[in-house]
Amino acid sequence: MAEKEWEPKIVAFCCNWCSYGGADTAGMGRFQQPSSLRIIRVMCSGRIDPMHVFNAFLEGADAVLVTGCHLGDCHYVNGNYKAEVRYQFLEEMVKQLGLEPERLQLNWISASEGEKFANFVRDVTAKIKELGPSPLKPEGVN
Amino acid sequence: MVEVGDRLLGYATDPNVRSKGASGGLVTAVLAAALEKGLVEGVVILKRIDEYEAVPVITDDVQEVLSSGGSMHAVPVNLAKYVVGKKVAMPGKPCDVRGVIEQAKRNSVDLSNTYIVGLNCGGSMHPVLTKEMLIKMYEIDPEDVVGEEIEKGKLIFKTKSGEEKSISIDKLEEEGYGRRESCRYCDVKIPVSADLACGNWGVIGELAGNATFCEVMNEKGKLLLDTAIEAGYVEVRPADEKSISIREKVNSAMLKLGDEWKEKVFDEIPDKDRLKYYIDQFADCIDCGACKEVCPVCSCGPDSKCTMFHSLADNYKMSMYHMVRLLHLSDSCIGCGQCADVCPVDIPVTTIFRRFANPAQKNRNYMPGMDLKRPPFLEVMLK
Repeated sequence: MAEKEWEPKIVAFCCNWCSYGGADTAGMGRFQQPSSLRIIRVMCSGRIDPMHVFNAFLEGADAVLVTGCHLGDCHYVNGNYKAEVRYQFLEEMVKQLGLEPERLQLNWISASEGEKFANFVRDVTAKIKELGPSPLKPEGVN
Repeated sequence: MVEVGDRLLGYATDPNVRSKGASGGLVTAVLAAALEKGLVEGVVILKRIDEYEAVPVITDDVQEVLSSGGSMHAVPVNLAKYVVGKKVAMPGKPCDVRGVIEQAKRNSVDLSNTYIVGLNCGGSMHPVLTKEMLIKMYEIDPEDVVGEEIEKGKLIFKTKSGEEKSISIDKLEEEGYGRRESCRYCDVKIPVSADLACGNWGVIGELAGNATFCEVMNEKGKLLLDTAIEAGYVEVRPADEKSISIREKVNSAMLKLGDEWKEKVFDEIPDKDRLKYYIDQFADCIDCGACKEVCPVCSCGPDSKCTMFHSLADNYKMSMYHMVRLLHLSDSCIGCGQCADVCPVDIPVTTIFRRFANPAQKNRNYMPGMDLKRPPFLEVMLK
């Protein structure tokens, strides 16, 4: 049997009001996207604790995407600004840890931007396929 | 009456206190006066056990405060966590002071009733390494030592038999002894965030060795010093230009040396080896939690993210405990070195934390524990 191509595991945190809607739109618009994505819906990107991101990496995610409403469009006024501040610390930490910076990405996607969501996922997946499995992946997890 | 911003030379009026204190006993007298006059209910002091060991206690006995004078370079405890919620005065090295300020920013200390007398600090030594150094470098039995002193870059130990032996600190540090690693690259030597900033730098001429240079940093410092002067515990006089410039010179020389150490300690690890380095270092961890327990800026309390989401059953490459702590400390770490001191398996925890904190703090042009006006980051950046 031919060896199956390695498919990365990507965890995306999507906010309920924009980027989760964006993922929905991508599906409704039939934009093709890889099956590597696991979406975790949160009510707001401001809810995403850096701890969730670390946990995803430690559990074996090859990349973590943090997504939310466009700045200024937050359903809860300033939740995505909070996410951005946290993300800056996270980004620096990932860099210092020696993980490839591409493994953690931030993107603002609105509910109508289905194509953007699909493209984003496709690009990240392609990039991660190049990089290979995450060095933080625990043994026994593919 | 002194004013905020005044730079003074002062000493204790009581000759016993003056001779016992490291430089004029000003700090001891100020703390004693604050207690005597009811400004505070207690004073945090280090109760001496021997040359290498002391326990921090909060005392309400003026005599005990007066007898606690004198510096101990080989007892690197951080006093920040002892002031939490109490009406106390405390002396403190710059890192003690910065710890308290960081706690206050995170609302776990109310500083309106806490008075901090900062002490200049060029570094402290690890007690275990000091004993080892005494045997190897000084060839003295650690039990025979009755006193130590730092003078002109030399570390001097006095023995019971009255002998004195001195070796230059540079030489000791080449051998891996001397100051703790975190002290070598420390970048705050004068505690400007305290209420009073005291030290012997800039005390020259006939006063050298028996007076303290003291800068009044804020209203609380003014109150503290005024109380002591009114009570007749201390005498002060304005410092002249020469004293001030010498103090500055000593400070900048120390900082320059610190920068050199910084480059030596934090040599860049190549990107691809870095993760392996951290994983290997933390692999020794036995999950004792001591580094969190002593951390002066950690303010989550016992139920914290780093402990609650960490399980010994996880088979992660790095534990959640370390991941969360690395992130929490990247903006608040003051580099006091407590965590590395207490680590039972000798992980260079402080150095690792600083590797994360150095760029994070530099990029934001932020030094934790230096002022109360700049709150933690989430708050600042949202404005």
